[in-house]
Amino acid sequence: MTPRLLALIPLAVGINLALGQLAAATALPLFLDTVGTVLVACLTGLVPAVITGAVSQVVMTVVSGNATWLAFLPVQLAIAAYAALAARYGMFGSTTRAALAGLGLGLAAATLSWPISYLAFGGVTAGGVTVVTTVLTGMGVPLKWAVYAASLSNDLLDKTVTFLLVRAVLAGLPRRAAARFPPVERALGRT
Amino acid sequence: MNVGYVAGRGPLHRSHPFTPLTLAATFAILAFVLPAPGGAAALCALALALALFEGVGGVLKSALLTVLPFWIFLFVIHAVIRGSPVTALDVASRITAIVIVFLTVLASVQPARLVDAMVDRGLPFSVAYLFAATLQAVPRLRQRAKDILDAQRCRGLAVRGSPWRRARALVPLAMPLILGALAEVDERSLALEARGAAYVVRRTPLHPPADAGREKMLRWGMLLLAVGSIVVKIAV
Repeated sequence: MTPRLLALIPLAVGINLALGQLAAATALPLFLDTVGTVLVACLTGLVPAVITGAVSQVVMTVVSGNATWLAFLPVQLAIAAYAALAARYGMFGSTTRAALAGLGLGLAAATLSWPISYLAFGGVTAGGVTVVTTVLTGMGVPLKWAVYAASLSNDLLDKTVTFLLVRAVLAGLPRRAAARFPPVERALGRT
Repeated sequence: MNVGYVAGRGPLHRSHPFTPLTLAATFAILAFVLPAPGGAAALCALALALALFEGVGGVLKSALLTVLPFWIFLFVIHAVIRGSPVTALDVASRITAIVIVFLTVLASVQPARLVDAMVDRGLPFSVAYLFAATLQAVPRLRQRAKDILDAQRCRGLAVRGSPWRRARALVPLAMPLILGALAEVDERSLALEARGAAYVVRRTPLHPPADAGREKMLRWGMLLLAVGSIVVKIAV
């Protein structure tokens, strides 16, 4: 692993874990815990993004002490792979493309995370999502669909905002910094 | 909530770092495999006893804070709405057992000893560095996020109001954090390059943790128990 990646990945994981704090301050139903992973996918490609996703999930579990988060490791890895693919096809080239790709990621993340939540933890995970699950179950929606709908409502918003934020970062990256990461040009659809 | 290593002299503290990790993995597997609801409840009691025997009873408070929302929501969803209190008890016990053991292991394994043990087994320096650097970067970036929030609020940024207004406030909060972190990459990569981090060589830990033969056997025993319980679960 190059020194640049060794320097970048811990900072990207730090971004994953710190941005939630800022989202909480705005009281928006967002986690923003994959911004660093998506950013690394755009800056360097698939493998470093997968490493960032894996390290993020492990460190998030260790820092919070909530061992249940480790079960969602496959979701982080899938997000890294999807983001690398989106970057490869220049999906960060415009706000509309980024928003559409973010919606796609939201759909994929919810589809991957709800079976884990439903089968392993009885449909109970993070606070906000579980409140929606509880309300839907109370309204008579079968539990598995309630869990999926709750995950979907949260992930569609969260991942769209994540992609839009990364698009804003890439577009605003100083030319000198962008030159250090050649895949950025492709992510922005310039090559 | 206090999570992390707590100095002590319990058996897990003295053991090779891989032993508590294997124990946590075995507990997690057994929690899903043992028959409900008695299996998970018994594991829960065992985890509780383990934390107290290890002398890290303080982790139980953190465990309670972590699992309490699970207990409440599981009770509401499964016991009240769906009329299945046994399911609520089973899933809640399973989560509680896993969380208690995980926190006990976190409190018993010193991160530096774990890194030494991993390097001793031939783990590349880059992997050990990644985890160590990340654990240092997280609190720093969290503090920076807090500083940015305070600074932007001082400049009049409103983080309350309509959802659209709050969403717009995210940009001036997130961008300085992300761009600031990216600006650090050059400086850090130069420092790493100067220390020869790019060269793949096997490092020698100064104080590798001792790994007794009986501990190795214990770890194999735990792994066999975990694998065996999965096989039995599938077969029955």
